[in-house]
Amino acid sequence: MSSSRIMPEFELLLPQSVSEAVKLLAKYKNKVSVMSGGTDVIVSMTKGIVTPYVMSLAEIPKLDYVTYNAKTGLRIGAMATLQQVADTPEVRKNYPALWKSASINGTPQTRNMGTVVGNILRASPSGDCCCALLATGGSVVLQGPNGKREVSIDKFFVSYRVTARKSVELAIEVKLPPLPKGTCNAFARMTRTTLDLCKINAAVRLDMAGKTCKEARLAIGAVAPVTLRLSKSEALLRGSAITDDLLQKVAATVPTEIKPIDDVRSTAEYRRAVSGVLVRRVIEEACQAR
Amino acid sequence: MKTRAITLTINGEEYNITVPAHHTLLQVIRDQLNLTDVKYGCGRGECGACTVLLDEGTKKGKRKAILACMVLAATMDGKSITTAAGLEKDGKLHPVQEAMGEVSAIQCGYCSPGVALKGVSILEKNPKATEQEIRRELEGNICRCTGYVKIVEAMELARDRMAAAGKSK
Repeated sequence: MSSSRIMPEFELLLPQSVSEAVKLLAKYKNKVSVMSGGTDVIVSMTKGIVTPYVMSLAEIPKLDYVTYNAKTGLRIGAMATLQQVADTPEVRKNYPALWKSASINGTPQTRNMGTVVGNILRASPSGDCCCALLATGGSVVLQGPNGKREVSIDKFFVSYRVTARKSVELAIEVKLPPLPKGTCNAFARMTRTTLDLCKINAAVRLDMAGKTCKEARLAIGAVAPVTLRLSKSEALLRGSAITDDLLQKVAATVPTEIKPIDDVRSTAEYRRAVSGVLVRRVIEEACQAR
Repeated sequence: MKTRAITLTINGEEYNITVPAHHTLLQVIRDQLNLTDVKYGCGRGECGACTVLLDEGTKKGKRKAILACMVLAATMDGKSITTAAGLEKDGKLHPVQEAMGEVSAIQCGYCSPGVALKGVSILEKNPKATEQEIRRELEGNICRCTGYVKIVEAMELARDRMAAAGKSK
């Protein structure tokens, strides 16, 4: 089955509006896989992992928006592709971590199909947009039978590929707050070839006041069942000036906060060894770009 | 739905067909319509052999390269795509195809339709693409023969010729 590349049969649902999609989810609940760009769901289905129903969002109009407002921040609709986000100048300028995570994701062709919201909903521990969003901060907007709710990204990744989305809810948008002046923000990852999922990825957001770091958010992926925040390392940065000495301490702390495993892409030992270096480099990159 | 009647335009020709919901665009193009210039490589979005150009939903003249193995045919109702066989105009090959033949950017040929289509989309999006940009944009097309050097050379040759032809008009 796993190598046949032929999908098993399923019933296709093609809602024409968000409200119709939400009604279908209420009816079929966890028997439905929701598909936006298809680049993840179709790969799973060719491996034989298939639900009785597949709901494609392809025919719901006006979900492919990327809008930026200096007062309210960035909004990314459920059908906005990775390439669309990568091609938006305001994202590149104001959210360098998310911009990079979208513009290096997969291949040029899959970036034309896959979506940022889909990458986050997949909640893979190695998801590049997951890592960038967790460091930057933001929320996922979910629409259910009783209306909309917004879940902070800090509470969104529950366990391995499980999110706070309930089976009756549709993720319609991801929101990022406007970042204050003086914020440093960057993302980096390690892969064997460019289209591979990463061995490890990391992202950072530092809100600076002069040379002092007021607030720090560090995220790291592919080193635990979910993308993690590094709370001990963040505490070292908070309230301090970013010096080489401090970064050495952060780099030494990072490996104590992660639980990597051996898998096809890397080993636990290697991931632990490079985790601190990667976080230090991504902090340096963020500070230099400022 | 288990099947859906769709209208799909391929290389300017309209097809009214009924497709199974669980078939990819690639399966339909190759097995149902017998248009075998679109190649089946990995079937999971990694190799680029099944690249086709989506004609609409993009700015005019800037077609978007997508993978036929990663899209359900049933969701392609009303869409129009171009395959390598549709790149020629009035019996003349596209400059990208011509250049690929000339500089021997084709060996076994299996990746070539996808590479040609991806090359066209690169130059439509950015007629001045640099060698670095061309290489980066070709990351999703795997070629096990050429080592990519000749492919990149062909894209640069096509780029220069298209720019020269644009100026002489």
